[in-house]
Amino acid sequence: MCEYSKALHILLKSPVTDDIIKFLTDTTLRVLPSSNYPTPPCSPGGKPVARLPSLMTFITRLVRYTNVYTPTLLTAVCYLNKLKRILPKDATGLPSTIHRIFLACLILSAKFHNDSSPLNKHWAKYTDGLFTLEDINLMERQLLQLLNWDLRVDTEDLILDLQPLLEPIKQDLVRSSDQRKRVGMMMAMNKRASAGTSPKASNNRFKLYEKQRNVSIASDLSSATLVDSSNDLRRLKDVTNIPNSTRTTSNYVKSVERWNDNVNRQSWDLEQIMSQHGF
Amino acid sequence: MSSSSQFKQLEKLGNGTYATVYKGLNKTTGVYVALKEVKLDSEEGTPSTAIREISLMKELKHENIVRLYDVIHTENKLTLVFEFMDNDLKKYMDSRTVGNTPRGLELNLVKYFQWQLLQGLAFCHENKILHRDLKPQNLLINKKGQLKLGDFGLARAFGIPVNTFSSEVVTLWYRAPDVLMGSRTYSTSIDIWSCGCILAEMITGKPLFPGTNDEEQLKLIFDVMGTPSESLWPTVTKLPKYNPNVQQRTPRDLRQVLQPHTKEPLDGNLMDFLHGLLQLNPDMRLSAKQALHHPWFAEYYQHTS
Repeated sequence: MCEYSKALHILLKSPVTDDIIKFLTDTTLRVLPSSNYPTPPCSPGGKPVARLPSLMTFITRLVRYTNVYTPTLLTAVCYLNKLKRILPKDATGLPSTIHRIFLACLILSAKFHNDSSPLNKHWAKYTDGLFTLEDINLMERQLLQLLNWDLRVDTEDLILDLQPLLEPIKQDLVRSSDQRKRVGMMMAMNKRASAGTSPKASNNRFKLYEKQRNVSIASDLSSATLVDSSNDLRRLKDVTNIPNSTRTTSNYVKSVERWNDNVNRQSWDLEQIMSQHGF
Repeated sequence: MSSSSQFKQLEKLGNGTYATVYKGLNKTTGVYVALKEVKLDSEEGTPSTAIREISLMKELKHENIVRLYDVIHTENKLTLVFEFMDNDLKKYMDSRTVGNTPRGLELNLVKYFQWQLLQGLAFCHENKILHRDLKPQNLLINKKGQLKLGDFGLARAFGIPVNTFSSEVVTLWYRAPDVLMGSRTYSTSIDIWSCGCILAEMITGKPLFPGTNDEEQLKLIFDVMGTPSESLWPTVTKLPKYNPNVQQRTPRDLRQVLQPHTKEPLDGNLMDFLHGLLQLNPDMRLSAKQALHHPWFAEYYQHTS
């Protein structure tokens, strides 16, 4: 769990990436799995007034307009998952229902977790005319009632709900910590080799090192940890049915890149972030 | 979920920061309640203060925290149904003023109130909630001498690594020096400073540091507690509004500051306890749990545990 909390710290301090947006889109789509049909085309000749954008485009725009913090976006995932558990399995809605669900979760996350957050009239503006202020007020009130005002999120919730985003960071952490330990062990062995003391003393010391080394191999090389974590992941996938594609950048992502100009898409500089946070 | 028709609205009890509070009668049970009415401004939607107050208080069930019974949410009004309390600590202390001279409370009552305040606060902190607005107005009391924490409009959950906090929290007179100097990484110690200010105010009947702006507030604090030194508070120089040119002060004897305003002698245990709450360095302040184990409270914890 400790590695996961470290990974969570790193994730929450990172900029909003394409992977995060893709993950949010997938999570939102799973809230109402039976209503995922494409937007119907406009009637011929009709003016496309505030045509419904794809969910990913919608989320990307909101992120761009509001400069929302990563933690605010990611705690919204917990509300989305909670909602999925609350709603009946065959729940459906209008084509825009998933957009409403995502927006309401994001608004509540911002209002609950930040000391200052946009007013609902600002949120209405950020939707480019898709929703009116009245729509926003209504979706907020409905979501508060559905969630029964229960908006607290703790570290365990986040680790469970953000598992697919945390896993690669955690694996990097394990890898780099293994590397550090391997270097440390080599240095210890060099020291031992260069210590030219009496045979008896060095023999004793050798035993001591052997013992330490055995212990450290068992716990440091983390084969156990890796196996455990992949089991955890499998279990989580069974529970939440997370597709494997979550972490790969799809064409879908590329198609909305024009909305992404302001979204910082730099990849992890893991070492830098880790040293910033004292890991 | 109740409906508003279930309650008879009686007299107005006061205006809160974002709401009006009425006394109410539950027509079904005959029990008095406090109805906190929040007018909904359509541009804002549901205020974040109300969202936090409700979601945090719903789970906080403790005898020293005002109980939130229910929430009635309609299109233009949000009503929070609370446990009814007779008075608040501010009004109670004001009522004891003779002429223009404020009078403190008897020390045994001070101790009982402070004990309950810290019990309620320890429960909040255990549940990873900061109150962030402790002051006599927000401490509600009843005729049985019970004291309960109320008004969680500024409260906030902590413990998950989310965004930075605002330093615009806590009513000025009760605001900790680290927060006044712009700290955004504060935690439970922010509430402990307020508890120290409240304790001194209960003893003397007068606010301890009644500043009118941030700068004066810090000056009043330093005049009594001394200016912070890097040796006792190493990180103070890194705070955004730290001023190295502030006139250096040595700490005054807190007992000499308070004793002229009360007839009862202030003993060493009480002064040691107060010092534990009013440490300039937030890391040096007692936690609520530690405070409850201070020798000043010996007569209480020896009975309870």
